[in-house]
Amino acid sequence: MSERSYTAMIVDDEELARAVVQEHLGPHPEIQVVASCANGFEAVKAATELKPDLMFLDIQMPKLNGFEVLELLEHPPTVVFVTAYDQHALKAFEVHAVDYLLKPFNADRFEEALVRAKARCDQGAATGPQPAELAAAARSDWPLDRLVVRDGTKVTLIPLAKLDYVQAQDDYVLLKTPEKSHLKQQTITSLETRLDPKRFLRIHRSFIIQLDRLTRLEQTPSESWVAVLQDGTRLPVSKNGYARLKVVLDQGV
Amino acid sequence: MHPILGSRAALGTYLLGWVPIAGIFVLVGLSQGWTALESVALALPLCLLAAFLFLSSWYLCKAFPLGSSRLGSPALAWILAAGIMANLWAFSGWVLAWSARGLPGFQDLLPKVRAAMPVLVGLGTLLYLMTLAVHYLLDAVARTQRSESKEGELRILAQDAELRALRAQLNPHFLFNSLNSISALTTLDPARARSMCILLSDFLRGSLKLGERRLVPLSEEVDLLKAYLAIEQIRFGSRLQVAWEIAPEVTEELLPALLLQPLVENAIKHGIAGLPEGGVVRISARAERGTLELKVENPVDPDLEPPPGLGIGLRQVRSRLQLRFGTRMRFEAGIQDGVHRVVMIFPAAAGGFSEAMA
Repeated sequence: MSERSYTAMIVDDEELARAVVQEHLGPHPEIQVVASCANGFEAVKAATELKPDLMFLDIQMPKLNGFEVLELLEHPPTVVFVTAYDQHALKAFEVHAVDYLLKPFNADRFEEALVRAKARCDQGAATGPQPAELAAAARSDWPLDRLVVRDGTKVTLIPLAKLDYVQAQDDYVLLKTPEKSHLKQQTITSLETRLDPKRFLRIHRSFIIQLDRLTRLEQTPSESWVAVLQDGTRLPVSKNGYARLKVVLDQGV
Repeated sequence: MHPILGSRAALGTYLLGWVPIAGIFVLVGLSQGWTALESVALALPLCLLAAFLFLSSWYLCKAFPLGSSRLGSPALAWILAAGIMANLWAFSGWVLAWSARGLPGFQDLLPKVRAAMPVLVGLGTLLYLMTLAVHYLLDAVARTQRSESKEGELRILAQDAELRALRAQLNPHFLFNSLNSISALTTLDPARARSMCILLSDFLRGSLKLGERRLVPLSEEVDLLKAYLAIEQIRFGSRLQVAWEIAPEVTEELLPALLLQPLVENAIKHGIAGLPEGGVVRISARAERGTLELKVENPVDPDLEPPPGLGIGLRQVRSRLQLRFGTRMRFEAGIQDGVHRVVMIFPAAAGGFSEAMA
């Protein structure tokens, strides 16, 4: 049986760390390294354009961490995490990483990871691509302080402080900031679980607001409630949302 | 030092306490059938005399401190001393009456005093024992204060030792990442791999050595930082640049050991490591009007939400300075125009203050 070839990407902000992986791939002509990236932005751009089979991915990187990179990819490749941190191992496997190499590693350990990774690639779509939702969930032990959004190859970071409210649009959420709205593929419910409940509140099936943006509540003639935000935006408040708001507002006084 | 004679305020309070006693003395005199003039004339000098004479009970109090288990012998000593002092005092009263016998209005005093001798001795004994009790009380208060301040000092030492121990604990990820760099260099550039091993050993040895000491000259802390930064420069390459601004006159100033190291570590971890292009870590030290000013600056990713409050590393550094210098230090940390800056100002020449305590 003739061995197929695989395309691979190496993503690590340290040049020497990339060099080690490259060196271990030396005896494997079937692996073709198509990109070597020093940060998450480059990685997302390269992976979107080149759609590699395999990715050796560091977790702690500038701008975007490894989990965020995966979250932004529509068709995430087979991933081997390469990191000095062992506390993310569990989360790494939750996003279906095939292996988790702890720096520094030896050649045998690398071979083992490579065999598994190739096997996963050969299975093809059988295991399915990791959904972005899972990647987001996998970061649940990290303090969420920003959201990442990709538009084509352009990645935008939205600090939570800038987020006014979130609106559900089918399988997407619209993230509203003072300057711009960003569309992100995620359900509002999964986003809600990731946000600090002291700061953000689901006021409606389709809306989450940042609480300090709320100026007042108004009652409509039909006896339902409307939340008025600082910029004048008026959003509907459901019965459940009103009950939740009341609890938070009563505590705040 | 005598606790009452040693302070003007204490002496004043003590003498004021004798005023009502002089009043009682006058009443006692009147009850013995003395005239008002005789009572007052005898009460004032005798009370003044007693006030000073009975201060000697301090030595008794020092010779027989309370709390020692033998109660018999101090009680005997108290009674003996009280007896001697009271008789001496009553005799002084007699001498006074005798000296005044020729003055008009005092002709009858001498026989009256002679008749009142037992009362005077009794009163003197009582007053002496009272003064003695006051001295024991003062001594107990002073002892408590001393043990409290001693305890506070010990607590400071213990906390500082704890903080230093925490500091000496190495960040394991720094170690793993450095070892990974060495692993890469062994085939790429064996000579550099070796020099990195040596830098890493220098740094480890240096931080262990500095961690054992309370105060070190700035120059030694700087040497350690140089080893540390040289390692990180191998990892981060051109992304990490370092600017030193150490005024030559402060290199031998003393500072708490491993004070700067965690700040520089933070500058890399939370600053340089988050920037794809990296940046400059600036470390400066200068002296100003008897204080030492240390500063660590680094650029930070402007897209990151600044964390609320101080991180654990900064809090530890601040507590160490607080423990040592109290209100005589300043510690500021914050982000301005994309640069994270930590400024520490504390008294220079800290050596005299603390190597003695260690």
